[in-house]
Amino acid sequence: MRIGDILTYAYGGVAGYRLRSLLMLFAMAVGVASVVVLTGLGEGARRYVTGEFASLGTHLLIVLPGRNETTGGAPPLLGETPRDLTLDDALALKRSAAIRRVAPVTVGSAPVSYQQREREVITIGTTAEFLHVRRLKILSGRFLPETDPRRAAPVCVLGGKLKRELFGNRAAVGQWVRVGDRRFRVIGVLASEGRAIGLDLEDMVVVPVASAQALFDTPALFRVLVEARSQSLIENARQQILAIVRARHEGEDDITVITQDAVIGTFNKIFTALTMTVGGIAAISLAVAGILIMNVMLVAVSQRTAEIGVIKALGATRRTIITLFLTEAGVMAAAGAAIGLALGYAAGAATAQIYPVLSITAPVWAAVSALLLAIGLGVVFGVLPARRAAALDPIAALARR
Amino acid sequence: MRFQDGLNLATGAVRSSGLRSGLTALGIAVGIAAVVLLTSIGAGVHRYVLNEFTQFGTNLIAIVPGKTETFGISTAAVSNVRPLSLDDAAALERVDGVIATVPVLQGNAEVEGAGRSRRSMVLGVGSEMPRVWSMRVATGRFLPRDDERSPRGYVVLGSKVRKELFGDRNPLGQRLRVGGDRYRIVGVMESKGQFLGFDLDDAVYVPASKALELFNRESLMEIDLLYRAGFSVDRVKESTRRLMLSRHGSEDFTIITQQQMLDVLGSVLDVLTFAVAALGGISLFVGGVGILTIMTIAVSERTAEIGLLRAIGATRGQVLRLFLYESLLLAAAGGVAGLVLGFGLALLLGFAVPALPIHPSTEYVLLAEGLAVAIGLAAGIVPARNAATLQPLEALRTE
Repeated sequence: MRIGDILTYAYGGVAGYRLRSLLMLFAMAVGVASVVVLTGLGEGARRYVTGEFASLGTHLLIVLPGRNETTGGAPPLLGETPRDLTLDDALALKRSAAIRRVAPVTVGSAPVSYQQREREVITIGTTAEFLHVRRLKILSGRFLPETDPRRAAPVCVLGGKLKRELFGNRAAVGQWVRVGDRRFRVIGVLASEGRAIGLDLEDMVVVPVASAQALFDTPALFRVLVEARSQSLIENARQQILAIVRARHEGEDDITVITQDAVIGTFNKIFTALTMTVGGIAAISLAVAGILIMNVMLVAVSQRTAEIGVIKALGATRRTIITLFLTEAGVMAAAGAAIGLALGYAAGAATAQIYPVLSITAPVWAAVSALLLAIGLGVVFGVLPARRAAALDPIAALARR
Repeated sequence: MRFQDGLNLATGAVRSSGLRSGLTALGIAVGIAAVVLLTSIGAGVHRYVLNEFTQFGTNLIAIVPGKTETFGISTAAVSNVRPLSLDDAAALERVDGVIATVPVLQGNAEVEGAGRSRRSMVLGVGSEMPRVWSMRVATGRFLPRDDERSPRGYVVLGSKVRKELFGDRNPLGQRLRVGGDRYRIVGVMESKGQFLGFDLDDAVYVPASKALELFNRESLMEIDLLYRAGFSVDRVKESTRRLMLSRHGSEDFTIITQQQMLDVLGSVLDVLTFAVAALGGISLFVGGVGILTIMTIAVSERTAEIGLLRAIGATRGQVLRLFLYESLLLAAAGGVAGLVLGFGLALLLGFAVPALPIHPSTEYVLLAEGLAVAIGLAAGIVPARNAATLQPLEALRTE
């Protein structure tokens, strides 16, 4: 029998029982579509999170005070150390050839007021380089001036939301606001940043680092953000940061340096594992659809006994019969999977229209493996019915008519 | 026709085509097993996380500096212009219903003792800490109740620090340097393990005011209150708020009750469990399509039988019910098999991966079985209606 004949026969088997075939296609399509949509969700989440971290800046290293002996554990994200990470430490890092920019950061919470309105917000003390390291944009006015970081200039830059809360639609630049017990002149407003991890950049005020240290009465820095000159120099920069701070801290290793790449790599791994798990769970439904195909094929074999008898009487071998029925199961599974793929991708595209932030596009490996798994399961579950059909005795089969 | 007869007929129909019925039920069984297994893991994680939190006791209220609505790390804990002081902690002990308070300050410092050194977490706390956090001292005693402004330089070790620095030797009475200051060891805590990434065994406990000096800070990071069991949380919270307001002049602090935290966590975890259950539900849905397919085939195969039944006087309702029973039977049998399979797998997984918390939850199991029956009903209704609306004469003619 030629391939064309086999396919035509299989198509006839599928088309002959329309309702039943449609239901089977539907079952398979649901399974494949759910795999596609769920892995798409996982992939979208992975891209979103790694994108967030990537948008923090490029070639970024984060220096935290404190160090835990156990490596691999959580870094000391919050906490104090006897020896502070100081502004001078941060400025000393600029000596390294591998480092392009250094932005010291102090963080605290302070009430910001303008006339009658007061709002408790995150107060960030930093330098002019923060703008470049974090890739922020200025909406109006300007960012902190590039003067000596040790000078506590009474100027501040407001986040978009804070500006709206305090000033409404009036111009903020040039006005004086009170932060804690000090007065600052607003010299700029940050542009709204669609997304940011950790700190809400919309609802904050940025002041020169020396002013923040005076405000909170502490010489300590919360973080130092460092931008390496290039991708290949990140590890180099890390070593030099450790060496410079060690020299300044009397030989003691009391800081932790996190590279942005390491963080992104960890998140990549976590989300890929999550995507595979979710996809695997959804793939269980493919197995259920496979069982259904087997069941219906078994019914088909018993209903089409006479037909099989005729084919056998015409000289078809066992192999031919098995090929015929396996092809039918495979065609059914493949058609269902194709519909499922289309549905899944359509659902992803529709979601992308509604929520543009989250792109639901299943990774190619997931779509391909769902398709192959569906066809494979269809064929595997088709084996039993096909063998049963092939084992029929032609005379007995014909006698049933 | 009596109910019993209907059931017998349906059972007969299911059993006469054994393989087919078995496969149909298997489809449902796989779906139910997936739901049971996944919800078991979900519920296990739920319990695990809640246990992590309640191991410190449930009658706790935390006061943190800064006004924040979200719970998580507030930047005010790092620096703020309105400090939370030791005096606040002392004053809060007078609140009605409060048994004890603990000022909390956390940092990281070099700890040196017995010729070895190690970087560890340093917790500045009050003498009531073991009581408030339900922790126990293994040997020696905890920090004594000194004047909180000038406490003696005593330190209590976490079990891991003790092991790393002193090995099997007795650390009690030995000297210890924490970030350059000298302390004398008075006790060792029992092992408590990790909590949300903080290893409480890899820590040393010093008096809060010493820690404030060590880290050169004015403000505590947190004050924890333990209130009497049976006291209303809201009342304690309200009087705490009033006292703090009168001390600070404005609401520059946030009060978080353990109950609030548990509620938020609980609802997040419930949503998660529900989500994984829904994932398993996809398979269940496909299984339902399987029942629909097989029942459709059954009705078309047994047209003649239906004709006969109608001819000898069975009403439409009776035929309808007959086929509904059949699909319900398939779904219910599949459901039971799935429950057994799911529980078996959950137990097996529990043995294989003891770290994975697994807790089969009865409500989800009942829900799953109910869902299976509902699916049987929903999938059976269209074929059963088709069977019931057949014209007896037409049906008989197909014989």
